Amino acid sequence: MNQMSSVPLYPPPLPPVASSFSGDRGEFRRLVTHGALLELITVGFYRFWLATDIRRHLWSHTALDGDALEYTGRGKELLMGFLFALAILVPIYLAYFLVGLEAERLKAFASVPLFVFFYVFGQFAIYRARRYRLTRSVWRGVRFWMEGSGWAYAGRAALWAVLMPLTLGLILPWREVALERYKMRHSHYGDLQGRFEGTGWDLFKRGWWLWLLGIASVAAPAAIVWLAAVFAPARLALARLATMGNPILILAFLVGGPILYAVFKAVEWRWWLSGIRFGDIRFESTLSRGALIGLYWKVIGWLLLISAVFGGYVYLCMLLVARASQTPMEKLLVSGGLQGNVLFLVLMGIGYLTFILLFNVVMRVYLMRDVWVRLVDSTRVHGFEAVANVSVRGDLASAVGEGLADGLDVVGF
Amino acid sequence: MSMDHSTPLDSPALPKAAGTVVYFDGTSSRRHLVALAFKDRLEFDEAAGPTIAWSYDDIRRADGPSGVLRLRSVTAPALARLEIRDASAASELISRCARLDEQAPGRHGVGAIIGWSLAAAVSIVAVILFGVPLAADRLTPLVPQAFERRVGEVAEKQIKAMVGGETCGDAWGQAAFAKLVNGVRQAAGLDMSIRTAVLISPIPNAFALPGGTVYLFSGLLAKAENPDEIAGVLAHEFGHLKHRDGMRNLIYNGGTSFLIGLLFGDITGSGALIFVSRTLVNSSYSREAEQNADSFAIDVIHRLGRSPKGLGELLFRVTGKDVDKSLSILSSHPLTEDRLARMQAEDRLASGPPLLTDPEWIALKTGCARRGW
Repeated sequence: MNQMSSVPLYPPPLPPVASSFSGDRGEFRRLVTHGALLELITVGFYRFWLATDIRRHLWSHTALDGDALEYTGRGKELLMGFLFALAILVPIYLAYFLVGLEAERLKAFASVPLFVFFYVFGQFAIYRARRYRLTRSVWRGVRFWMEGSGWAYAGRAALWAVLMPLTLGLILPWREVALERYKMRHSHYGDLQGRFEGTGWDLFKRGWWLWLLGIASVAAPAAIVWLAAVFAPARLALARLATMGNPILILAFLVGGPILYAVFKAVEWRWWLSGIRFGDIRFESTLSRGALIGLYWKVIGWLLLISAVFGGYVYLCMLLVARASQTPMEKLLVSGGLQGNVLFLVLMGIGYLTFILLFNVVMRVYLMRDVWVRLVDSTRVHGFEAVANVSVRGDLASAVGEGLADGLDVVGF
Repeated sequence: MSMDHSTPLDSPALPKAAGTVVYFDGTSSRRHLVALAFKDRLEFDEAAGPTIAWSYDDIRRADGPSGVLRLRSVTAPALARLEIRDASAASELISRCARLDEQAPGRHGVGAIIGWSLAAAVSIVAVILFGVPLAADRLTPLVPQAFERRVGEVAEKQIKAMVGGETCGDAWGQAAFAKLVNGVRQAAGLDMSIRTAVLISPIPNAFALPGGTVYLFSGLLAKAENPDEIAGVLAHEFGHLKHRDGMRNLIYNGGTSFLIGLLFGDITGSGALIFVSRTLVNSSYSREAEQNADSFAIDVIHRLGRSPKGLGELLFRVTGKDVDKSLSILSSHPLTEDRLARMQAEDRLASGPPLLTDPEWIALKTGCARRGW
């Protein structure tokens, strides 16, 4: 009866398709500013809804093959997850306290190794939190989902973490491969199983020089200090050169550090995205090494600017307090002079809250949204024929994992 | 199935290009290109497929990119989605779906969240101000002495690890100290189980540990000018032991730290906020405990027939000269001026014998106070 569509059901096999992001930057900025404000008003409880809103924005404006993702998680779920996690964490913290007490009784500071337990628990929480987020991600009416054991993952993460200091971090690529393989092997899109095909060697090839520079930046100042100490009595030119070299190195470290980190993140993201597979679908990223450097420097610039404004504000507050209490500035600055001054404390409180509010907005706009956009725009997907007919499978996971990660203050992807 | 046969399907309200409407059935990722029909229910179907109908009242908005109206139905499979890109079709549909934005994502009642958060914050603050002190008071007597001693041993190990752990080894000095301690202890009504020692450290301080240990740092001894001053310090610390303030503080600090952490959660950069509010809350609690210990000390020193004025003067000497408050435990104490004024008001003519003879006092000062730095 009804008139039918004359458009062919599905176009023939496609060339690789780019993923794209269509979100408006101003809209995101308003979202996180508004959210940060509400976070302060609600003493932090709004974070569950803000996290949800941020994900909803990022997901729904990210399109693969023309169809946007959808995030179906809700703030209330995160709140419930957090409350459940509290019920789990409170007894654990108490037990931790009692065990730590016994250990300390045997030897002072013997309880320090107990943090190992929290590291493992944190990894467990990261895995479960990923599972929650994945099961709330929908594309073309089919959910992503995840199985596998959070404890098995946490055990692997902890064992690899032990190797990290032993190899001065050289093992990092192989650690990431092992963990990504576990995570992706247990990730699914409908009835398509995921896997990770990146290799440790591949990441090592792309990033070894970063590792070397990192090691050098720690080793060189130490060597210089050592040289200066050894040759100082002899007053050799070398010793003077060594002491002169340190400030230059520190400057190089301050400028080079963020660049190195941004390059490392770009290399890592590209390698990670290019290793993702779901059935016959293959992801490929063309993110350039320098793609994220600008973002990190913008964050640093904003941070310096906000800090400078905050510094000016503190100075103004002191002037105000000095005028109000009729005490000269010099007297106020004497240690303890401002302690207990209620007006000053209140002004500082307001300033500090504004400071962290702005800081959070900057971090979320640049390091969340802008990084996300660059990653999405750099990604191409091959083998889309395979997704023409994927069946729904898998169950929803609870948000307790996210709550645990929240309670333990760990983040992971 | 439709009563409205007169409505032509190509009415102006309908999208001309059916390809702009995409339907995902929620059971597979297949992309169905469908044509919409606005009848008494929303009907749509694709070539050779069955007709699907959604009641307008069941249709809800789902998250979608800008320019796309993404819909779901509360009675359809949870993930079934209808995506309308055509603006006129979208507005036509919006006008028919009265409950479109019920339970819409993003409309989570900000007012309700703020209200409940404030209620939660008020309740947490109330628990911090009234509940935790009460719990600390009620729980402290229930904590077994053996457990308290264990806590004390831990604190003792850590303190000794930090300051070196060397105690005064001078026989004459020790004998004089033992005599002074004994006198104050009896007047304070404490039994023999308490342990005391002079720890060699330049820091002018003294403290009581849970489980009945009092340490006097030799730095405080060096600043003292007569035995009454040290007796006052000992009586003050014994007051803490008597009230089990160490245990009470532990319970109180643990409880408030946890609750304040809960309150501010993980707003990035809230660490300082948590630290400041914890310090404010805890030090006000500790000031109260200090005041009680001072009252106890005044009482004990009176019982010994001496004047508590010395304690106040010693405290003033310590904080007055050392501006750096951060080194001393005294920062969580009441203002030294107030304490001095209080002790001076309690000044009475000595009715009891001196607590140490002059030679004993000199032995204590020379034997224990001038060592190690």
